[in-house]
Amino acid sequence: MRLNILTIYLKEMKEVLRDRRTLVFMLVMPIVLVPLLMNLLIGFVAKAEKKAETEILTYVIFGAENLPELADEFTNDERFRKVDFPDKEEIPAGIEQNKIRFALVIPKKAAQNLEKGEKVAVQLYYNNASLPSMVRNRAGEVIQRFENRLRSSRLASLGLDTSEQQENLINPITIEEKGTAKKREMLGERMGGILPYLFIIFCLMGSMYPAIDLGAGEKERGTLETLLLAPIKRHQIVLGKFFVVFTTGVTAALLSITSIGIMMTIKLKEISGELHDVFASISVVDLVLIAAMLIPMAAIFASLLLSVSVYAKSFKEASSYCGPLNFLAIVPAFIAMLPIVKLDWYWAMVPITNVSLAIKELIKGTMNYQMLIAILGSSVIIAGALLLFCTKWFEREAVLFRE
Amino acid sequence: MIEVCGLSKSFKERRKKARSLIGLLQRFRSSEKFFAVKDVSFCAESGTILGLLGPNGAGKTTLLRMLSTALKPSAGTANIDGVDLVKNPLEVRKIIGFLSDNTGLYGRLTAREMIEYYGKLHGLDSSRLHKRMDELFGVLEMTDFVDKRNDSLSSGMKQKVSIARTLINDPDVIMFDEPTTGLDVAAAEAILKFIESCKDRGKTVIFCTHHMHEVDRLCDKVVVLDAGRVCFDGTIEKMHKQTGQSRMDKAFLAVLNSGRAYNAA
Repeated sequence: MRLNILTIYLKEMKEVLRDRRTLVFMLVMPIVLVPLLMNLLIGFVAKAEKKAETEILTYVIFGAENLPELADEFTNDERFRKVDFPDKEEIPAGIEQNKIRFALVIPKKAAQNLEKGEKVAVQLYYNNASLPSMVRNRAGEVIQRFENRLRSSRLASLGLDTSEQQENLINPITIEEKGTAKKREMLGERMGGILPYLFIIFCLMGSMYPAIDLGAGEKERGTLETLLLAPIKRHQIVLGKFFVVFTTGVTAALLSITSIGIMMTIKLKEISGELHDVFASISVVDLVLIAAMLIPMAAIFASLLLSVSVYAKSFKEASSYCGPLNFLAIVPAFIAMLPIVKLDWYWAMVPITNVSLAIKELIKGTMNYQMLIAILGSSVIIAGALLLFCTKWFEREAVLFRE
Repeated sequence: MIEVCGLSKSFKERRKKARSLIGLLQRFRSSEKFFAVKDVSFCAESGTILGLLGPNGAGKTTLLRMLSTALKPSAGTANIDGVDLVKNPLEVRKIIGFLSDNTGLYGRLTAREMIEYYGKLHGLDSSRLHKRMDELFGVLEMTDFVDKRNDSLSSGMKQKVSIARTLINDPDVIMFDEPTTGLDVAAAEAILKFIESCKDRGKTVIFCTHHMHEVDRLCDKVVVLDAGRVCFDGTIEKMHKQTGQSRMDKAFLAVLNSGRAYNAA
């Protein structure tokens, strides 16, 4: 029996490895695309941070004569450049067309009102679509600087000369934050969601094409019927095929982990800051455990995809069924990226999401190992049940000879 | 030798498209059946060629699929060289070969790899398998292309690979399902000669076709199916005599018409 399964497995693997499309999904994409995506992501983040720090922001002030000290604050700051802008009514259009990055409108008699100790409202126009806004922060910082000086002089006129006296009046109670989370946990929480999502997608993509080819593809080419006439049991055929799809899924997932591991090692020397700290804290053991989580996942995908593929009459039909199936895999993986979803015993029982959350916990370094065993166990049970279903499904004449 | 006794195959009736949810549920719960093959009996002796004829949808492919154990009969049984195909389908598969119009080749394998694969699935040991492969490659004149991928072969070459695959286990009973469909004259002639040679070697052959000149040339006996039932079972001479037609195509149509008239009455 084992020999028949092995014979089928070896033959199918040979065919799969000679297929360009499978090689692209199984080998090329995880090896090339994952490092490329990560490189782009790191590059993009670094570039965006640099731009936010160094970009000179163009601006206009209407009513600068009403509060010249504030206008001077902006003029004296090298990170801002004042431009000519004709009309106050055109401010939103000017920001939209990128002629100015922000505009300040200072009301009449602002200086006099401040002199009298009254409050003045300065209007700041900017594009608030991006959160957090670089413009809002930098312009706000300058206004804040001016406000602090003004507050300080007002308090001094009240007899509070030292900065300590002033601080005690403004903030009688301060909160000293003592966060208990380790840096890895904090950063892993922010960035650990995307990696399991990528691993799961690659695992699914790696198994999809071989599964369609080995089921519906064989049906369409007429080779499945000749295979069914060989003196072997049908469950041996399906097991041989299952192991091939499983192998391609696991290979794609492991390659994506390996390529990320290699890229992390190389990039570690180049990058600094928070990203460096996260990468440096992930050990080989963590990567091995992540790989272990993806093995039952690959078995689940292989059983599901093979069942769908065997049911379909043609390659095209199988591809159309696999679309919604993708959705079934992607949505649970995506749920784990939501900040409100935490790994607990409830989520530990939800297939795919549990693996995704467990990988996130492993990246954060906060994995509860009892839960890890439970997730692995439940995934293995689900994979086994789906494989049993796939085997029974394959033995049904109505499925194999669907008209 | 093939002995078929009261073989039937029924499928769940497919109703018209369900127009409502209730209709859809009824469709799934339906227990109505239709018979693709009903109560078919005949016998084919060793060293003879039996022609299996019938219009499209008559049940020929379903019958062949049952005889090759791809489908399980709903009723009745058949013995292939004394082996009951319902009780011992795996044993039957060891002694049969099946060739259809669809060559059913693995495009990314070479002819040699594919034949070797089927030989292993038939449980042939390595020395016996390679001896048999060399024998087949010689007889079928395949040596020039056995190491080329099947995808790159011409349709005639592909049909030869298919024949080699069918014969790798040296089957005693061989079934051909419209083997010459889509082939050019030369390739079709090679197939017909091959079928004749099977008869000469004492094999039992079932030959299913729509080409009546091929039936006239090859078959010792014919079984005509219509709507899943046998409407004629006998020799070619008997068919001509019974219908009064000297041409095979006309004799075949006469058999069908008389069968339909009988059923209508």
